[in-house]
Formats: sequence, structure tokens, C-alpha cells
Amino acid sequence: MADDERIAYLSGDTSARLDPAERAELDELRGLLTDPAVWAEPHPGLAERVVGAVTQAASAEPVPTALPVDGDSNRRRRPRWIAIAVGGVAAAVLLAVALTFGLTSHPSQSVEYAASINGTTLAPDASGQVTLTKTPSGWKIHLHAKGLPRRDGGAYYEAWLKNSAGVLVPVGTFNQLDDVTLWAGVAPSSYPTLTVTRQLVDDGPTSSGKVVLIGVTHRTH
Amino acid sequence: MRTTVSVPASGDADLPARFGAGDPDSVRAVYQTYGRLVYSVAYKVLGDAGLAEDATQQTFVQAWRAAGTYDPSRALGAWLAAIARRAAIDVYRRERRHRGVEDIASHENALVTAPPSAEQIYDVWEVRQALENLPGQDRELIRMQHFDELTHAEIAGQLAIPVGTVKSRSFRAHRRLAGLLGHLRSEPVGTTAAGTEEGRHHG
Repeated sequence: MADDERIAYLSGDTSARLDPAERAELDELRGLLTDPAVWAEPHPGLAERVVGAVTQAASAEPVPTALPVDGDSNRRRRPRWIAIAVGGVAAAVLLAVALTFGLTSHPSQSVEYAASINGTTLAPDASGQVTLTKTPSGWKIHLHAKGLPRRDGGAYYEAWLKNSAGVLVPVGTFNQLDDVTLWAGVAPSSYPTLTVTRQLVDDGPTSSGKVVLIGVTHRTH
Repeated sequence: MRTTVSVPASGDADLPARFGAGDPDSVRAVYQTYGRLVYSVAYKVLGDAGLAEDATQQTFVQAWRAAGTYDPSRALGAWLAAIARRAAIDVYRRERRHRGVEDIASHENALVTAPPSAEQIYDVWEVRQALENLPGQDRELIRMQHFDELTHAEIAGQLAIPVGTVKSRSFRAHRRLAGLLGHLRSEPVGTTAAGTEEGRHHG
């Protein structure tokens, strides 16, 4: 059947008999399926951030479906001294806030990415967290995970960052995952996927493909 | 690409109105249904997770502000997609203006090229929506094959199942996907996984 040929091609059988127009149409879909935007997952905390932003806007502004209010004329009728007094109080509050933050906040604004990492079918009980902090030397990666045994004697774990084209950049090897610090010379904005593989010294330095943990990092600061 | 995925019914005809009133539960419900789709649109324009989150937040705030203009006969998802694209382009312009093109790292491709067209955005939205309507197992398999660029043999190794099983599952998953996107001649358009034995999952 023609549809079977189309599906076969879509699922990876390049020998499927299709005319050029059909092939082009399906190639377009195959291209879309490699697009990171199709697979990108928002940070779980974004839902509450969105709800908070909308409810804050709703409490600060008139409900948009309501009839418009002539705010300008109201403002014009307001005595000038009220505006000055309100402005003075607001300035004092802003100054206090600015001083408080100036005294207590960190001087630098670090860029940080984070992700929850989950076990794959090879390690369904594994889970963890990863943070990536930008430093002058590169990206400092802090990895915590549980549910995976220590590997020794020629066996080890290796972490990788991966981009949308599937290019892997190794970011370090280790024996156990409870508290690992790694470094990367590539940015998580371009290499957002972090994976951890099981490796064997005898198999050489390339990825074994045996992914035990995976997560997509998102910017948090 | 022209696709024909139907928007999943929210089961709540009053949702847009309650959203317009800023009801937190309704905002959460709209986000649960459309948040990932909106995020996909923003990510397509910006290519950066953090900026895409900013644009997603702005999309929902702008949608709330414009709720009075929403036409209930129009699909809420399509309306949000249009707002998401504009919000993301606003963020795109802000980033370019504030940072300057020369300060944008070369790997941040999305910020040094023109933003995608409305049609490209529409395609991402439709494919994402179709994938969301697949059973989790199908979606994961398609992801491994296309996004992770794994061969059937590599997938078989990772999932610890025979290659033949991977091939048959892959064929079935792609048939469902093509059915959702109208890439089949004979299968009815809009077929969803809801009636399958596997039901709907999110992987």
C-alpha cells in the first residue's frame, strides 16, 4: 500500500518507493522531528511563575473584559500634593529596598542552568539534579544522583552534553554519582541535554550509548 | 507543511472567560493544556530555554490582557500561538537591542538570524501537538529515532528489546503520528491515540 510505503520511509526505511513530491513532504516532517523546539520541555516551575505573573497583573489592573475607565481624567482631578506625597513615600520605599538588596545580595549575577535528571530504562530507579554555573573558566557542573551503584575496576560513568544535532561533548568521568563536580567548555544554551552513560575502559573513549540518566537543562538565573 | 491536528477539548467552555478574569485555577488549566505548546513556539523563535520561559510568561500575561478581544469561535490554542510568536519576537528584539549583535555568542543562532516565519511556527505547533497526543511509548521511540538520531539497533540496545520489536513499534508509532498530522491518504484525519490500548501517557 502507498501509505505503508510512506510510513516505512518516515520510520527509517529509505528504500521505500515514493515519488519525489511525497519524499519531500515526508522529509519536511522528518526535519521537524529533529527540531529542538518540538521536544523542548519547560522547567516544571514555569507553571507557577506564569500563574503568579497573570494573577499579579490581574490584581494590579482592571479586569480586561470590564468597560474602560477614564483613568486620565481621574488623574487630572487628583490634587497635586497627593501625587507628591505618594511619590515621596514610593521613593523612600524604593531607596530602602535598593539599600537592602545592595547590602545583602551577591555582587555578581551568575548565569545558571539546572535540570532534574531521570533514570532511563537501563536504570529506572535512578534520579537526580544537575546545576550548571557559568564561570570565567567554563561551566561548572554539579551533579547529584541516587539509585545507581558505584562502578570500579575498569567500569565508570561518563557525563555528556548534547546539542540538537546529537553532537556529544564529554564533560567528565566518575565512579559514583552522589556528589560530582564536572566542567564543560560548551554552553548549555547550545548543548542543553545532559546524559550519563555506563562506560568500560576496554571499549575506548567514545560513548557506549548506554544512557542511565538524562535531563534537559533550563536557565534558572 | 499543512497539518490538521484537532485541539484537544478542555471540557470547560467557560475557561477562556475565567482566564480573562484572572482566575488562578483557570490560568493554571490553560497553562496545563497549552503551556508546552506556547513554550515550543517561544523556543523556536529564541533557541534559548531561559528566554523562551520569559516569552512564555509574557504570552500568558498578554493573553490575559487581551482576553476581552478573544473570539470564542476561534481555537484558543491558535490564538495563544499567535500571541506567543509576537511575545517571543519582542524578547528577540529586546535581546538584540540590549546586548548588541556583536555580543551575542555565535552559538546562539536564533538571535543572529531572522525569526522563523508564521508558517514555520505553525508547523512546530502542530507537530508538537500531535506528539503530545501520542502514547508516551510512541513519543519516546520517535524522539530516540529522530531527535537522538539513534538507529533501530541502538534503540533496541537501550530498551533491551529485540530489533524487530523496535521496528514494528516504530512503524506503528509513525503511522499514528502521520494519522494525526494528515500525512496518510486513507486513515481518517484527527485520529488520536485515545482509543488505543495504550491510552495517553506523557513520558
